[in-house]
Amino acid sequence: MSYKSELGRTWWLKNPAFKAYMLREATVLPLVFFILCMLAGIYSLGKGEQAWQSWVVVMGNPLVLTLNALALVASLYHAATFFVLFPRVMPVRLGGQKVPDNLIVIAQWAGVAAVFVLAAWVFWGVL
Amino acid sequence: MRKAVKRSDEPVWWALFSGGGVCFAILVPAAAFFLALALPLGWVSLDHEQALAAFTSIFGVVFAGGVIALPAFHAAHRIRHGLYDLKFGARGLIKWLAYGLATLASIYALGCWFVRFLL
Repeated sequence: MSYKSELGRTWWLKNPAFKAYMLREATVLPLVFFILCMLAGIYSLGKGEQAWQSWVVVMGNPLVLTLNALALVASLYHAATFFVLFPRVMPVRLGGQKVPDNLIVIAQWAGVAAVFVLAAWVFWGVL
Repeated sequence: MRKAVKRSDEPVWWALFSGGGVCFAILVPAAAFFLALALPLGWVSLDHEQALAAFTSIFGVVFAGGVIALPAFHAAHRIRHGLYDLKFGARGLIKWLAYGLATLASIYALGCWFVRFLL
């Protein structure tokens, strides 16, 4: 008989914190789908104009759109949980003063917003 | 007699996972919104010629590396450890399958950019 305790596959269902952890781990599943879509896009880009247009049509399929919308939500959820870790892992000091945690979190969200603004500028020529 | 030091390969995977985590949080939201939602829904337009020009530019490598390659390694790392958490036994196989597929995705995306950028 072994004294080592064994964990089953469902250990994480027993505690809300473990469930949240597994949900966070699972945010990469829609990300994988999005990455596959982008790889298909690069492939069709190389094949020519017709292939590119049919790729855009496939991307407009309701199921594909839903999964990619899930990927967007997942990326924002990942960002929200990831940004709060930064000041804990690497406290920033400026001029001998500790930079407040929420300022570091806000700065990271500003980075996300900056990429959105850049993309909006590229696509719409505005902002 | 010198003994060969057995080094862990984990720092490599962790670095790729970590870099991918940053890209997943900063770059992927905008990429997913504009390329996977706004483009097929017609909120933005990007024809083949424009897309090819954009991908062939220096921004293409940011896309291939920051939206595909690094997030792929981030996903591979999390899937690997997620499957360990779910108590799947074939650890070696899971590890090489996860990072192997991420490597293939990265080589394809970065390779496509490199070939087009050079030509």
